[in-house]
Amino acid sequence: MPPSTDLLQGTLDLLILQTLALGPMHGWGVAQRIQQVSKDVLQIGQGSLYPALHRLEYKGWIQSDWGNSDNNRRAKFYSLTPNGRKQLESELETWERLSSAIGLVLGRVPGASA
Amino acid sequence: MIRELLTQIRFLVKHPKLTEMDDELQFHLEQSTATNIAGGMTAAEARRQALIEFGGVERTREQCYEQRPGWWMGTVLQDVRYALRGFRRNPVFAITVIATLALGIGATTAVFSVVDRILFRSLPYAHDDRLVSVGLVQSLSRQEFTVGGFFFDWRDNQKPFEAFASQGTMLHACDLIETNPAQLQCIKAQAGFLPLLGISPVLGRNFLPEEDRPNGPRVALISDGLWLNHYGRDPGILNRLINIDGNQTRVVGVLPQGFELPTVEEPDVMLPSALNEGLERRSSPGSPMRTFARLRPGVDIAQARAEMQPLFLHTQVTVIPAQIRKDFHLSVRSLRDRETKDVQLTAWILLASALAVLMICCANVSGLMIARGEARERERAVRSALGASRGRLIRQTLTEAALLSFAGAAAGMMLAEGLLRVFLDLAPSGIPFLSRAGIDFRIALFTVLLSLLCGATFGLLPAWQTPRALALAAHAAKSRKRTLLRRSLVVGQIAISMVLLSGAALLLKSFQNIEEQHLGVQSDGVLTARIALPGFRYDTGQKKMEFYLQAEAALRRLPGIRAVGFSDSLPPGGWQDSERFADLAVEGRPRPVQGTGGSVVSRGVSPDYFRALNIPIVMGRNFAEADRNDSEYWAVLSRLLAARMFPDEDPTGKRIQRIRDGIVFTVAGVADNVKNGGLTEQDQPEIYFLRRSVAQDWGGRAPVGEVMSGAAPLLVIDAELSTTAVAQWVRSQIAQIDPTVPVEIETLNQRVSKLADRPRFETALLGFFAFCGLVMAVIGLYGVISYVAVQRTQEIGVRMALGATRLDILRLISGEGLRLIVLGGVAGLGAALATAQLLKSLLYNVGPRDPAIYGAVALLLALVAFVATLIPARAAMRVEPAEALRYE
Repeated sequence: MPPSTDLLQGTLDLLILQTLALGPMHGWGVAQRIQQVSKDVLQIGQGSLYPALHRLEYKGWIQSDWGNSDNNRRAKFYSLTPNGRKQLESELETWERLSSAIGLVLGRVPGASA
Repeated sequence: MIRELLTQIRFLVKHPKLTEMDDELQFHLEQSTATNIAGGMTAAEARRQALIEFGGVERTREQCYEQRPGWWMGTVLQDVRYALRGFRRNPVFAITVIATLALGIGATTAVFSVVDRILFRSLPYAHDDRLVSVGLVQSLSRQEFTVGGFFFDWRDNQKPFEAFASQGTMLHACDLIETNPAQLQCIKAQAGFLPLLGISPVLGRNFLPEEDRPNGPRVALISDGLWLNHYGRDPGILNRLINIDGNQTRVVGVLPQGFELPTVEEPDVMLPSALNEGLERRSSPGSPMRTFARLRPGVDIAQARAEMQPLFLHTQVTVIPAQIRKDFHLSVRSLRDRETKDVQLTAWILLASALAVLMICCANVSGLMIARGEARERERAVRSALGASRGRLIRQTLTEAALLSFAGAAAGMMLAEGLLRVFLDLAPSGIPFLSRAGIDFRIALFTVLLSLLCGATFGLLPAWQTPRALALAAHAAKSRKRTLLRRSLVVGQIAISMVLLSGAALLLKSFQNIEEQHLGVQSDGVLTARIALPGFRYDTGQKKMEFYLQAEAALRRLPGIRAVGFSDSLPPGGWQDSERFADLAVEGRPRPVQGTGGSVVSRGVSPDYFRALNIPIVMGRNFAEADRNDSEYWAVLSRLLAARMFPDEDPTGKRIQRIRDGIVFTVAGVADNVKNGGLTEQDQPEIYFLRRSVAQDWGGRAPVGEVMSGAAPLLVIDAELSTTAVAQWVRSQIAQIDPTVPVEIETLNQRVSKLADRPRFETALLGFFAFCGLVMAVIGLYGVISYVAVQRTQEIGVRMALGATRLDILRLISGEGLRLIVLGGVAGLGAALATAQLLKSLLYNVGPRDPAIYGAVALLLALVAFVATLIPARAAMRVEPAEALRYE
């Protein structure tokens, strides 16, 4: 397994929101999805995943419902609320500004591969 | 935003079920296992790997739980429950802390209630910070006054003020004549006076300018109290005609409840000044009055004084006679200073000493909390090891502190109630606003703030020292830092109580000096009776004289009475009439230089006055009964005055002219000096005029309290029998002459004692605080020394095993205490000497740095403190070496 990269503070929230933007998903699914999409670079331990999910739910950005999983097991599904969608947009914007700024400082054109 | 808030509130109400969280995590595990199996592991191995990957389930669950908004509130309750359980387990600790805090907070709150109005609370007028008292001061009157001769000139030409108006000099007695007559307190004021203060009547209106003119319509404003007590709050009072001193007067308004004049008096009736402006401008001096003004915004008092100076200089030249000009000065000072200047020092000293006690209490409580913190170090280490964060531990300690503070504050409030009542009983009448002091909302708030401050201080000190890397086993290696902290707290306490004690001792000595001084008069068995003759019935000097002579004759017939005399005032203080020294000219000699010589106390007395008070006549003779019906004017000089006017001469038979009215008095004799400048001021020269039995000597109104107008006589009675019995007879005798006149009887001892009320009040309060401070400091010292002794038990065991005697151990432990005492004592002595100068004006016949006092105080403190260290030291001495060595 490739070594996991430490996540920037606050980035986890953004990743979860972005993942849930695709549709309702349970906790396990969120973790798997992030791992797959990032080609195993980003591995979310449950120790940070679930507190983050709960935190977002308490903030009203996501909501949860009990439903059945693919293997017909009762699971808690999270989905984005309208508020969460707005939050996602603003966080994306911030992220973009930040990463392009960092890119400038590092002397690389944003988007170019390292 | 609102949605977010709503969500939070929803979650606050609805607890997510813990089983749901379990289900969720369980699901995650299963998914993980299933993936592993799909990857080719055996079922058992798959589950094992999944669990390893998962990590601590419990930790995650807790972390999820902590995300809940308002999660910490639950922990507060938990902390409170935990703290309460702790207090129940160790009630002595909790009670000691609460009692200590209650004492500190109670004393501070009570004193704050008393001094609040004097020092801090805004005056009950609009723009009170810009109100000033303006006028002249001179040696005979220290409160600003103005007179018509220059008031109007000042009013028209002044620049620094936006409002400028006057009231009469003081309340005067006036009679409400109707079916239910009453003697009232009246005051005159100009039409602009109430607007200056920003006061408007609650009913009706202020005087109109045309009513504030000579021969204008007669109108009056009445007080809320008069409206309530006399007219039952009848709204029809407006425009009613009432008879005041024989004049039909229209009531045009009612003053607000609790209205007080800037002279701190409460009038029943306010009448227009109705000054004749043209006449006043031309007259010199004109009608006296008290003038107040409101500064323009941005102008300060110094500026105003500077701007008024040219006007004052002009006035000086035109109005004040050249001979006495030197004696007059311009004064502009804030209204607060005008009202409370002479008690501000006392108020500050009381507040400072109460705060000092509070500081000592807080230090004590801090010490206790630190000791408790140490006793529970192991427990906290365990909690820390089990995952309690530093923040959580601090929160727990703060919760305890807050609980104790609030309990202490509640108990302190009750104590303050009681203390305040005691203060009010002790308090002299001269302290303004005291009678109305009470613990109100503002003061309650002050208390709570104080307690919070206390809580924060003593809560954080120990909490800061959280067991970070503290090993569970650690016990022997106590941090020295903590005892250092406790020791410095104790040194501070001792220093503060040294300051308090020396202040109290100085006041006590001064009070003793006041009590023990020789007054020059006999005060035992002497009664004084003041009779308030209603002015509308006794409206001529003749009628008054007849009444008093009748009373004198009746009292003389009573058994058990040695002498009955008259005087208009009594030594040693209170109101006394006075003459200028320069106003008394010896016949056949050049007149004394005006403006020099200060003042001379003058009293109008009957011959028996000297006998009643047992004042010896040292030269010549007393007034004789026959002189009372003589056409001659007679005077008796005091020894001091005789020595000044007739050095090396017998004044008997000499003639003195009172320049202001040209009357020539013949000196009958010289009486011994009496204390007449109050209890603590220097004696003044004194002249006695004979009050003859002719109508002109009995004019004037009854005095109002001690502040008076004219000079109505007091009966001075020397009783052989008990004063209470004689007082009854006096009342009944006077009632036989006129049953309706109120008689006020006091013993001379009561009057004298009243004059000592102020020093007694100051001494008692400071003494009380010093005592509290000392007790607290000693308890603190005791606590530290016993702690140190216990801490060093093992060391003591070793020392004893190596051959140290018990005396050595005693010396070791008490030496520890001694160091703290000496350190604190020396620091305190320095601070006390530095601050003692502040007390100077309160002291009588004792210097603020009296070495004997400081020596005695230091000795007392050292002794008491040393006893406090000996007790634990003796306990340490008794320790069995074998046990001590095994002591953990």
